[in-house]
Amino acid sequence: MPDYDLETKVKLAIYEITAETGRIPNSSAVSQKIDIDESEVVAAFGRLHTKRLVLPEPDDPSRIRMAPPFSGIETAFPVEANGRNYFANCVWDAYGIAAALHCDAVSRASDGHTGEPLTLEVKNGQPVLRRYVAHFAVPAAHWWDNLIFT
Amino acid sequence: MLLFRSEEMVDLWCASHDIPRRPLVNLTQLWQLAVQWYGNRLTVESRRPAPDEMVSIFSALGLTGPFWDPKSDQWR
Repeated sequence: MPDYDLETKVKLAIYEITAETGRIPNSSAVSQKIDIDESEVVAAFGRLHTKRLVLPEPDDPSRIRMAPPFSGIETAFPVEANGRNYFANCVWDAYGIAAALHCDAVSRASDGHTGEPLTLEVKNGQPVLRRYVAHFAVPAAHWWDNLIFT
Repeated sequence: MLLFRSEEMVDLWCASHDIPRRPLVNLTQLWQLAVQWYGNRLTVESRRPAPDEMVSIFSALGLTGPFWDPKSDQWR
């Protein structure tokens, strides 16, 4: 990896591993990938959180709950892309994974009220349009107050 | 941010959760938001848009008003 600053190295490693595996790495995996002491990686996770780029697990700063658009846990927004399976944090992020990876994708999501299966699809770089709607319950000024709810 | 088959389902969900209905975004707008927000997320340059950039992105998609303003204090 070129001689980027530590934070950039950590950020790139998080996203590279996630893109390659479908799972957000913990500090140990990032440490091994870029050969940097794990304590420094954990500190970088904190700084990336301050910049609102990742959300560490509240009770475990060595793990990342969200590296938007990717989720560190299973969600109602699974995404298939590039032959891999990912989880998005929300409906915006379901499209976000296709946008971040620059590839087509399918998200077998569901209606927020009824649970009815609803599929979101990106084909040939464009969304397959349906009459579905996304509801943004939280104003932009408060998205990071409780990102898990948002 | 949830997905719904229709506006009617949004209304039912809001009523059942005692949550006020807020703006709806169609799939064209949502895809454009995703591209603007995450298109370079895996690159060295990636960063979260600054507040004014956010307003600009939303505004270009017709999403205007205090709800879409990250500096708004309307809900504080």
